[in-house]
Amino acid sequence: MKAHVRLLPLFLLSFLALAACPLRAQDWVHTGTNLGNQRIRLAVADFKPVGAEAQTPSLKATFDSTLQSDLAHAGLFDMVSKSMMPESRPGSPQEISINQWSSMPTNASMVTFGALAANNGRLIVYGWLFDTHNGANPQILAKQYNEAATEEMARTVAHRFADEIIYRLGGGINGISETKIYFVSSRSGSKEIWAMDYDGQNQHQVTHLGSIALSPRISPDGSRLAFAALDRGGWSIRMYSVELGRMIGFPAGVGGGSNLSPAWSSNGAKLAFSSSRSGDSEIWVASASGGGLHRVTTFRGPDVAPTWNPKTNGQIAWASGRTGLPQIYTMSEDGSSVQRITDGGYAVSPSWSPSGQFLAFSWNRKYGPGDPGGNDIHIIDIASKQYLQLTHESGSNDFPSWAPDNRHIVFERRVGHRSDIWTMLSDGTDQHQLTRSGNNFMPNWSWK
Amino acid sequence: MNKAQHNSGDPELGLHPEPIAASATGSLVLHGILLAVVLGWGWAMGLFHHNDWGSQGEGSTMQVSLASDALPLPPTEVNKNVLSTETPSPAPAPPTPKPVEHIDDKAIPIASKVRQQPQPQQKQQPTQQKTQKNQPQPQRDNLAHYGEQSGSAIPHGVPKHGNFGPAQVGDSDFTSMFGWYVNQINQKMSQSWNRYEVDPRTPHGTRAFIAFVIHRDGSPTNIQMDRSSGSPTLDRSCLRGAQRIDTFGGLPPAYNQSTLKVSYYCEY
Repeated sequence: MKAHVRLLPLFLLSFLALAACPLRAQDWVHTGTNLGNQRIRLAVADFKPVGAEAQTPSLKATFDSTLQSDLAHAGLFDMVSKSMMPESRPGSPQEISINQWSSMPTNASMVTFGALAANNGRLIVYGWLFDTHNGANPQILAKQYNEAATEEMARTVAHRFADEIIYRLGGGINGISETKIYFVSSRSGSKEIWAMDYDGQNQHQVTHLGSIALSPRISPDGSRLAFAALDRGGWSIRMYSVELGRMIGFPAGVGGGSNLSPAWSSNGAKLAFSSSRSGDSEIWVASASGGGLHRVTTFRGPDVAPTWNPKTNGQIAWASGRTGLPQIYTMSEDGSSVQRITDGGYAVSPSWSPSGQFLAFSWNRKYGPGDPGGNDIHIIDIASKQYLQLTHESGSNDFPSWAPDNRHIVFERRVGHRSDIWTMLSDGTDQHQLTRSGNNFMPNWSWK
Repeated sequence: MNKAQHNSGDPELGLHPEPIAASATGSLVLHGILLAVVLGWGWAMGLFHHNDWGSQGEGSTMQVSLASDALPLPPTEVNKNVLSTETPSPAPAPPTPKPVEHIDDKAIPIASKVRQQPQPQQKQQPTQQKTQKNQPQPQRDNLAHYGEQSGSAIPHGVPKHGNFGPAQVGDSDFTSMFGWYVNQINQKMSQSWNRYEVDPRTPHGTRAFIAFVIHRDGSPTNIQMDRSSGSPTLDRSCLRGAQRIDTFGGLPPAYNQSTLKVSYYCEY
């Protein structure tokens, strides 16, 4: 007892000493130089409502918020906040005073404004884009829309107008406001393919198979959806026709073994996928109708997740475990010129950018004992092998997919037991969540 | 003498139960007190925290002050665009209108005069501020330094840090009328020019001048070397940068010519 009593103060002291060391979780601070400095400063004025129809305010609210959100997330503009805009709501070029918008505090270099009316069930929108620093000739765009007066069309018109602005000011690349994202969701009970607008609106179910469906890939023309489905015979590549609303045949996808991760070439002519029908999972290529099936890789070790170079259609990147942990490789379409891209860690799910310059993939660089855990999305410049980490310490990020404008990436983030679809700009900024209910996986951005 | 009798304390065998009850209880109590002290101390010191952002303790708001009344804050990097003004905006203030001499839109610009612009554009250059990014970076794995030019050119609407000169286009009226389009040319060129293609021994500040023609649909043609920089890798990389571009975006509808001549320089 005496010994215990003597040791007690020593224990207490040592505990106190240990407890004095500060415990801090790592916060991540995004910073950088020259990010967003030279973006075009754009003011999006609230559109002026015309007429006294009851529908107009709610349609206008939808239109305004959709337009604002499309332009803010485009990655091109420095948006002027509402509190800095002038009080006036110009509805036509005669009503706008350019100097109000170019002077402080607004200091906008571009302003978009217009008028919106709902007459007799038709939604009529006039929109203008003005250059505030060119008093003599400010007009850049003038658009007019006449559609059915529904919430859906108000959103569509806003998307179209935003796309016009982005096309004009973003260097001739089409905006993505009307593109769709296909993904897997388990909220109906089983994993089925769902689709939604690029901003997370209008989420709806596409397949109703009742079993497990994974890796949706929409064809470049938007008419067919290829995916991997589990049925009695195992995993097979199935094809769903969006136009017909039903499954169509793809004979090459059913051939024994596990057939997974389909990938369309950008001309819609070929489909590459991973199949283990020869015993070991290898990359196989078939034509879009299912014929011309041939094997492309021959090495030991699993070969999965192919993706085509959309610029040339002459190269395929995929993840291969031939050296142990999966790494990203590229090869020519016939299987020659195999080149290794990643130098270690655990790299999976490559996705080739529309410009042909970058690969986005999920990488765990410190895989192994002592691994802090979690994959992160990286992009790598294939020619120079320089890479950039886009996500940091926010769950496990996987399955990136590029948008057709080369400026956005959609991916899956798993935090704890929840998986959701997130989107971000291709430099890692502006990350925001798109899905909120159920568990959602494996997104795929449409081609147009 | 079996184990069953061990604890029963049979006095005939000379065994006595060891009085451990008191010390065991005391030990448990002391351990409990110790644990309570540690946890209590930790809680009192604010070690169980939810939001650590800011300074130690309660967390105070960050004090910021505007450097000037002007909003937004001026860019940290001097825009070497000859079209730049003190107001941070990509489109320049229109020049004071010339009193009488108004260029007839229908007049055909004289090609040779158009391309001898480099001299006035160098006069108007603000002093270059060499930041640390201009010095050669030590090679560090394959890591693209975040936010620096020595990484890959990430395609978003922001031109990467670097010294990319402006385009000098057609006639001077175009830049005043369509400053945003000239800005777009600058942005696209800066995105597609790969700085890593240039030999690192090239002295900083050397410029390679190229010239090309933009058609109505925005596609560049006739890309050629206008004035060499003396560094063949810089020349070639600048030419390749322009060749990589599919389109700069269609020419503005209000511009009624069918093509636009551009002189552009890439500065290392």
